[in-house]
Amino acid sequence: MTRLNLLLLLVLIASSLYLVRVSYEARRLFAELDRAQSEERALDHDSERLKTELRSQATPLRVERTARERLAMRAATPAVTQYVELPKQAASSAATGTTP
Amino acid sequence: MNGAAQKNGAKARANASVRSFNYSTSPLLAAPTPPWRSKLLVALVGLGFALLLGRAVYVQILDAPFFLKQGEIRYGHTIELPASRGRIVDRNGLILAASVPAPSIWAIPRDLEGDAASRARLATLLGMTSAALESRLKDNPNFVWLRRQVDDPVAKAVRALGIKGIHEVREYKRKYPEGEAAAHVVGFTNVEDRGQEGIELAFQKQLAGRDGTRRVIKDRLGRVVEDVGDSIAPVAGEDIGLAIDSKVQFFAYQRIRDAVAANKAKAGSVVVLDAQTGEVLALANFPSYAPADRRNLTGAQLRNRALTDTFEPGSTMKPFVAAWALESGRVTPTTVIQTAPGKMTLTGSTITDSHPHGNLTVTEVIQKSSNVGAVKMAMTFTPREMWELYSAVGFGQKPQLGFPGVVAGRLRPYKSWRPIEQATMSYGYGLSASLFQIAHAYTVFAHDGELIPVTLTRPLGSAAATPVAGIRVLSPKTAAAVRDMLHLATLPGGTAPKAQVMGYSVGGKSGTAYKQEGASYATKKYRSWFVGMAPIAHPRIVVAVMVDEPSAGKYFGGDVAAPVFSEVVQQTLRMMGVQPDLDVKPQIVSREMPAEEESF
Repeated sequence: MTRLNLLLLLVLIASSLYLVRVSYEARRLFAELDRAQSEERALDHDSERLKTELRSQATPLRVERTARERLAMRAATPAVTQYVELPKQAASSAATGTTP
Repeated sequence: MNGAAQKNGAKARANASVRSFNYSTSPLLAAPTPPWRSKLLVALVGLGFALLLGRAVYVQILDAPFFLKQGEIRYGHTIELPASRGRIVDRNGLILAASVPAPSIWAIPRDLEGDAASRARLATLLGMTSAALESRLKDNPNFVWLRRQVDDPVAKAVRALGIKGIHEVREYKRKYPEGEAAAHVVGFTNVEDRGQEGIELAFQKQLAGRDGTRRVIKDRLGRVVEDVGDSIAPVAGEDIGLAIDSKVQFFAYQRIRDAVAANKAKAGSVVVLDAQTGEVLALANFPSYAPADRRNLTGAQLRNRALTDTFEPGSTMKPFVAAWALESGRVTPTTVIQTAPGKMTLTGSTITDSHPHGNLTVTEVIQKSSNVGAVKMAMTFTPREMWELYSAVGFGQKPQLGFPGVVAGRLRPYKSWRPIEQATMSYGYGLSASLFQIAHAYTVFAHDGELIPVTLTRPLGSAAATPVAGIRVLSPKTAAAVRDMLHLATLPGGTAPKAQVMGYSVGGKSGTAYKQEGASYATKKYRSWFVGMAPIAHPRIVVAVMVDEPSAGKYFGGDVAAPVFSEVVQQTLRMMGVQPDLDVKPQIVSREMPAEEESF
């Protein structure tokens, strides 16, 4: 009887220690997850900010000015445009195709 | 006296030593204790335990929820998860407005530490003087905003200073890459991220999204340890797609800005509509403002003139009169109308042309913009007929745009019209409309007699818009005939040859009107505009231009507004990839060169 009790006591102690370990591990993993999630949010924000920045660097105003002043370009007029007829099939696929 | 006291004390000590005895023989023990004392003690201890037990029952069972809640308040925290506001993008998915994080810096002045040097650095970072910072800190010892919505790098630098008592809260700020060019369409938000103007206001509900919350347990150091209960995820705001093409928008804005400057005008507006789908491709006003920096704004800059300012449309109304005269079979394009001597009198008022023309066909009346010719046609209509025509093309009615501040203009009920009023209305005085309404009305001519519904938005990811059906006002034949007249107005001999566009046939009507000031008309103040469409055989776009008070000498619509129309049409059609319908002398040089002989 005493032997059985001793055995049970040992099992109990082992299980308690394991519980302590597991809950510690759970907290640690949770903290890690939390950190990863907030990092994800921060990166999301950064990407949004950079996209906006990129866009404000590529506004028609800036593109036009750069093209005109730095690259010495000018707007195309019909007089300097060669219009190319697409073959029937290509034209229809171009019309239904998605624009980038 | 002193000696007597000493003597008494010695006697008492002697007595005590004589009468000492053991504890066990103490007579006090022999004295019987009353039984009620022990009973009282037992009862008191029992009562004490009963009280504790009762309290335990109360805390654990009877009022358990209250105590659980109180406990949770002490260790649990609710974290707000702010939803990000949706973006506004143009028809090609280019961003017109987006939210970026911009932390706001606040302080608890009572807790504030840090020496003078670090405070001075803080002040520089926040863009204020040290004195301004100190006076701000004196406002309230518990909480002051130091600066709302700073850029991320600034917030990082403030964090790096590590001054105790300085905190930051995550907030969002709107960025408008397109700046002032699209300001009136996109609008702006206030510091609380709520839409105040334009699309930001019109679609506030869809753009805003819903904030989420999350219950957590925090430890002593403020770290999140565990989630409790369900968390509500934030719902991000929807993105709103506009029909606006930011390239066309920018170009229209740039042209009207230059035209306003060149003509020393007060203001100007441009509206570009897709004549097939009713989409608003551009809507630009000058003066404008930078939506991100709204300090020192004036009402004049904020006004979306194309939609909110109404004026008497002047000569741009004449094509409607001619169209109805054709439609009802009263005239044909070649019917001759006598407009000599360039003036006519109607119930005591005189209507004049700028110079006498003599006999004009209906086509020439529009081409040369004769008031007398238009009045002669209009006086054959009944007032009701004319009212129905005007309201069928949208005058006196709010355009269905779902945009804040859109006005209806003014078209009085026909029952109150006097004959002279019917006459003046035929050439655009006595009623009012916004530039947008006029552009919309002209879709009747551009869309083969149908007034098409207009839209500012275009659902994201939708395929290319298909031509829409409208409400039929005129027959296709009449619309084509009027387009011919409008085309002639832009050719030599018309009022607006400057509206011509290289490579594309255009048609349109210029207008010049005296500005109303108080009860009468100002003598030297004009409004000039031009409304037209291109290519004239199958119009793809309708463009309306208005310049307010040009004062550099020129003031005719054909001189002031038509050149803007010409440039905007040229660029817009090029961007839309519309092939020119007129022959252009090509300037592309490709000489026929004999092929180089290949050596073999």
